[in-house]
Amino acid sequence: MQATLNISNLSKSFDQGKVKALDGITFNVNQGDICAVVGESGSGKTTLIRLIAGLEELDSGEIHIENHLVASIKKNVAPEKRDVGMVFQEYALFPHLSVLENVVYGIKNSRSKKDTALETLDLVGLKGFEKRYPHELSGGQQQRVALARALAPKPSVLILDEPFSNLDAMMRYRLRNEVFNIIKKTGVTAIFVTHDTQDALAVADEILILQNGKLVQKDEASALYKKPQSIYVASLFGNTVQLNKGLQTAFKCPLKEDCCHAIRNESLTVNQDCDYVSEAEILKRTFLGTHSQLLLKLDNGEHLTVVTNEPVLGETIKIGFNSKDVLAFDE
Amino acid sequence: MQKIIYLLLISIFVVGCKSDNKKEDSNELTVYTHRHYESDQELFKRFEEESGIKLNIVNASADELIQKMSLEGEQSPADVLITVDAGRLYRAKSQNLLQSFSSSLIDSIVPKHLKDEDGQWVGLTKRARVIAYSKERIDSTQLSTYENLTSQEWEDKILVRSSSNIYNQSLLALIIANKGQQSAEDWASGVVENMARAPKGNDRDQVKAVANNEGDLAIVNTYYIGKLLNSEDKNEVEAGKSVDIFFPNQETTGTHINVSGIGVAKYSPNKENAVQFIEFLLQEKAQSIFAGSNFEYPVNPNVEPADILKSWGDFKEDNLSLNKLGEYNKEAVIIFDKVGWK
Amino acid sequence: MNLKHRFFKLKRDLNRWSLLLLLILAVVSVPILTIGLKLFDGPGESWNHILEYVLFDYLKNSFLLALFCSIIVILFGVTTAWLVSRFEFPFRKQLEWLLILPLSVPAYIMAYAYAGVFGYSGLFSKLMGAFGIGDFRIEVMNIYGLSLVLSISLFPYVYVSSRTFFLAQATNLLEASRMLGISEFKSFFKLIFPLARPAIIAGLVLVLMEVLNDYGAASYYGVSTFTTGIFRSWFSLGEPETAIYLSAILLLIVFGLILFEKWQRRHLNFTSAKMSKQNYNSRLKPKKANQLWFTVICFIPVFLGFVLPVIQLIIWVEQTFSKVWTVEFISITLESFGIAFLTASVTVLVALLLLFFTRWNKIELLKTSSKLGVLGYAIPGIIIAIGVLIPSLYIDKWLIEKNITSKLILNATLIALVYAYVVRFLAVAYQPLESSSLKIDRSLSDSSKVLGKGNFKTFFKIEFPLIRAGLLSAFILVFIDILKELPLTLIMKPYDVNTLAVKSFEYASDEMVSSAALPSLLIILTALIPAIFLNKLLLKNASNS
Repeated sequence: MQATLNISNLSKSFDQGKVKALDGITFNVNQGDICAVVGESGSGKTTLIRLIAGLEELDSGEIHIENHLVASIKKNVAPEKRDVGMVFQEYALFPHLSVLENVVYGIKNSRSKKDTALETLDLVGLKGFEKRYPHELSGGQQQRVALARALAPKPSVLILDEPFSNLDAMMRYRLRNEVFNIIKKTGVTAIFVTHDTQDALAVADEILILQNGKLVQKDEASALYKKPQSIYVASLFGNTVQLNKGLQTAFKCPLKEDCCHAIRNESLTVNQDCDYVSEAEILKRTFLGTHSQLLLKLDNGEHLTVVTNEPVLGETIKIGFNSKDVLAFDE
Repeated sequence: MQKIIYLLLISIFVVGCKSDNKKEDSNELTVYTHRHYESDQELFKRFEEESGIKLNIVNASADELIQKMSLEGEQSPADVLITVDAGRLYRAKSQNLLQSFSSSLIDSIVPKHLKDEDGQWVGLTKRARVIAYSKERIDSTQLSTYENLTSQEWEDKILVRSSSNIYNQSLLALIIANKGQQSAEDWASGVVENMARAPKGNDRDQVKAVANNEGDLAIVNTYYIGKLLNSEDKNEVEAGKSVDIFFPNQETTGTHINVSGIGVAKYSPNKENAVQFIEFLLQEKAQSIFAGSNFEYPVNPNVEPADILKSWGDFKEDNLSLNKLGEYNKEAVIIFDKVGWK
Repeated sequence: MNLKHRFFKLKRDLNRWSLLLLLILAVVSVPILTIGLKLFDGPGESWNHILEYVLFDYLKNSFLLALFCSIIVILFGVTTAWLVSRFEFPFRKQLEWLLILPLSVPAYIMAYAYAGVFGYSGLFSKLMGAFGIGDFRIEVMNIYGLSLVLSISLFPYVYVSSRTFFLAQATNLLEASRMLGISEFKSFFKLIFPLARPAIIAGLVLVLMEVLNDYGAASYYGVSTFTTGIFRSWFSLGEPETAIYLSAILLLIVFGLILFEKWQRRHLNFTSAKMSKQNYNSRLKPKKANQLWFTVICFIPVFLGFVLPVIQLIIWVEQTFSKVWTVEFISITLESFGIAFLTASVTVLVALLLLFFTRWNKIELLKTSSKLGVLGYAIPGIIIAIGVLIPSLYIDKWLIEKNITSKLILNATLIALVYAYVVRFLAVAYQPLESSSLKIDRSLSDSSKVLGKGNFKTFFKIEFPLIRAGLLSAFILVFIDILKELPLTLIMKPYDVNTLAVKSFEYASDEMVSSAALPSLLIILTALIPAIFLNKLLLKNASNS
C-alpha cells in the first residue's frame, strides 16, 4: 500500500445504532496529498475525521495510518499514539498557556522542543508572538498558532476541521493560500473538512463528497466539477437547476427519460444564441453589485432564477443553454 | 496548592493523634449510651479517676446503638448499654443483646420494680410523667388522673409533644398494660380532641405554651420543670414558675414513671468492669450527682432528690413491671397513628 | 450487529478506566446495594399499618415541603444571583459573599433559632412590643415555617450554581434581546431564566435532597415527613426493616429527580460550549432608587438566613457562655476542622475520579450509570450508617476469623467514618465538578490528546487548571456539610473523636437549646473560613478567564 491514510469500509452510528453517521466509507489518501472532505452539515464529515484522529471508536471497518492498523473492531489505538495532528474548528488553543507553550505542548523530542516550536512559529509567520496568550491574538493569528501547534510534532497526517469557517471572506481567502502553502512546504499528508467548495476546489488534490454518511464521489477537483455523479454533488459546487419536464418543454429540449438532467446556473446564457432558448418575462431583479439576480417566468409559465453579469434591459429576455453543458446523472 | 497539602497533612495529624491512642488495653470499658448530659460526663471522669479503667463512650440514640450492637454481634466492643427509657432496654433484651449480671451491692440498692426480672438491666434514675398546670387558671382540685384528661372540660386546653417521643409512647404503653387496648385507644383519641394545638416542640416548649396562655395543662417529665427553673434564660424561669406539678393517679394506680437504665452487653469483653461501673453509678456519690444536676429521681433510696423535687412532695409510683412498657411500645405507636396524634 | 461483533467491540472498548470506574462505583455503592439487598428481607410487620394510616401523610407533607422549598429557594437564590451578577449597586461586593453564609448554619440550628426568635417573649415579640403590638405573634412551628427555615439555610446552593452561570453569561445575548425591544426584566424571564434552568435545577436537586433528608428541623416543628417517618418506624416501632423500606421509596423518588435533572441537561452541551467564549459582562448601573432596592432585596435572605439566627445564637451564648465554655472546645473545633478537611479532600478526589474515569471509559452503558454513585446524598445518614456498618463489620469479622487482626479495625475508626461520609456527600462534590467540567470546550482535551498526551497528562495540564474553581467550590460545600453532619457522625465516629455538631446535639437533645448555641456558633465560624475563601476564588476566576 502506497497510501499514508487507508480507510476501508468504515461505519459508525450513535445512540445505540439509531443514528447512522457513517456507512461503509472506503478511500485512500496518498503521501503528501491534500484531501478535502465536503458535504452538507450532518453528512458525517466531522465523525469521519474524529474517527481518524481516534476521538471516537468505529463500529466496523479499518483505519490504517502509514500501513499500521490503528482502528478496527478489535483494536483502537489511542489518539495520542496515532501520529495525527489536528486543527480544530475553533482552534482549541489552551487559554492558560502562552503561544509558545501551546506549540511546545505536543512536541515529543525533549532536547530541542523550544527550537522546534520557534521554527514552526516562524514557518507560520508568527515570529515574536511566543509570549502572547491566545485571547490576545486575532482570529487569523489564532488559526496560525493552531496550525503551528498541530505541525510541530511532525505528524504523518494533519487533520483540519472547518479551518476557515470563523474568518471573514477577505481573511479567509488570504489565509487559505497561506495555510496550504505551509502545508505543502512541510509535505505532510492533510485531510480537511469543509462545507465550502471554494476552499476545496482551490487547494485540494482530491475531494471526497459525503452525503448522509455515504461516500458519493471521490475525484480531483476539475473532474468533480465537470462530471458530478449526482445532482447533490453538482449543487455543492454552485447553483444548479434541475431540468424537469416543465423546463424541458419550455426550452424545447427533449431529454432521455431514464436519467436526471441539470444545468449549472453559470451555463445559462442571456440574450445569446445557443442550442436551447426560451423567451422569459422578468418578474423581479435583485442587484448584487457585479451581477444581478433575476426571477424569470418562462413562456410556458415555469419560474426560474438566474444570476447573470450581463446588463439586462427591458421586460423580457431570451434565456438559453448549450447541450454540451447539460449534466446527466443516473438516477 | 502547597498550602492545601500542608493543611491536609496537619488535619491528618490532628485526627490521627486522636484516634490512634485507642490502644489494646484490657483495662477499659466501652459504654454505648443514649444519655448525653453534662452530669454524666462528670461521672464518667470520676469513674476513670477512681477505678483506673478507661471509658470509651459511644453516644447515639438507643435504637441506633441497639442496631449497631446487633450488627456487630460477637465482635461488639460494647460492654454496657445506657438508655433513657426502660422500653429500649426491653428491646435490647428481647433481641438477645444483653446478659444477666448480679452483684449483691446492686441488689441491695435498687428496688425490685426498677430492675429487670432476669437481672439483665437496672434503672439508674427515675423520671415521672406528670401534669404541669397553670397556677393562674387551674386549681389542683380540678385534676385527678391521666384518664380524666379526656373529659370535656379540658377541650382545647392540653399541650403535649409529638407521639414520636418515647415518654408519650411509654405512657400509652402503661395505659395499655393497665386498662387494655381499647380503652387506651379511647384515651389517646380523647386527648387528641382536647389538644390546644397540633403537637410540636419539646417538653419545655409545652410549659412555655402554658405560660403564654396557649393551653392550661402540659404533659411533661418532671426534670424539665427543674431545668426550666434553673435556666439561664429568665423567660424560661418565668415559664417554670408559672406552672405547678400535679402527680396524677395518686388515688388509683400511681403516677407513670420511667427509668433511665443500664444493661450489660451480651458479648461484653469486660464484664467485671461493667459490673464495677454499674455499682459505681448506683452508689450515693454518683446518685447524688444525677439527682443534683439533672433533676431526676435517684433510684438509690438513700439519696435525697434535689430540693425542687422534694418541694413537690412524695408521690405514689405505678409499680407496673417496666418491661411491659417495652412490650406494648409498638402497639402504643400504632394507636397514636390511628387516632392522629402526630 | 451480531453478538460476536458486540463482544469484540466490548473487548476493545473495555479499558483500564472502565475497570477503575467499575471499582469506584462498586466501592461507593456498596452501602446502597447493601440497603437494596435488605429489601429482600421484606418490611417489618407494621408495614400495612404504615400504608393504611401514615404513608399518605408522609408523602403529602414531603411533597408540599419540597414544593414550598423549591419556590422559596428559586425566588431567593435566582433573584439574588441575577442581581449581583448583572447590576452594580451599593454593597454588591459584600452581599455577593454574604449570600453564601446561610449555608454555614445547620438546618436544625436554624429551626431552633427561629423558634426562639418567634417564640414567646422572643426577639420578634419584643420588637412588636416596642411598637405597642404586644400580642402579635407569628407561629413558625408548622409546615410553612419549616419550609422557610429549610429554604433559608439551603438557598445558597441555588444561588451559587445560578450565579456561576450568570457570570459566565454572554452580554451579547442580552443586548440582542434588548435590541428586539425587550426590557432587561422581561429578558430575564424570556431568555436568561430558561437558559439558566439546568444550572438552577442542578442546585435545586441538592436542596431537595437535603430537604427530603432533614430530620432535626421537621421533628422539632412537628411536621411528619418521609424522613421523620423513617425514624419513627425504626425508633418507635422498632423496625429497622420498615425504615429501610421507606428509605428505598425515598431513594426511588430521588432517583427520579436525578433522571429528571439529567433529562433537563440534555441540551446543555452546546449552550455552554459557545457561551464560555464570550467576554464577561460589565454590570449595568440602574437608577439610584432602584440600586437601593437591589441592596435591600439581596440583604433580605442574608438577614433571614444568617444575621437573624446568629443574633439569636449570640443572645443564647451570652446567657450560657460561662457555664458551657471549656478549653475542650478548642480541641473539638480543631478536630471538627481536621475531619471535615480530610474527608472533603477525599470526597472531592473520589468525585473527580468518578467524573474523569467515566469520561475516559468508552463503554456507553457505564457512562450512563455512573450517576448511580451519587445517590447516597438522598439517603438519611443513619441508613447510610447501616449500609456501611454491615459490610465493614463483615470484613472486620473475616479479618478476625483469619487471625489477621484481633479486633475491629474498620468499625468505629476513621476509615469507616470517612468512607461513610464519602458515600453520603459524593453528590455535593460531584455536581459542581461536573458542571464546571462541562464548561470546558471538549475540543481542548481532544486537541491535547491528538498532540500526544495521554488522559493523565491531559488532565493535569489542561482540565485541572481549568476546573480549579469548580474543584474548590466542591471542596468547600462538602467541608461545610461534614462540619454540620450529625447522625452518621454519632454512630460511626471513633470513641475519642468529638465534633462540634455532636456537641451541639448533646445539648439540644437535652432541650438545652441555649447551651447548644456555643458549639453551633463555632460550627458557623469554622464554616465561614472556607466559605469566604470560596467566594474570593469564584470572583478571581470570573475576572481572569
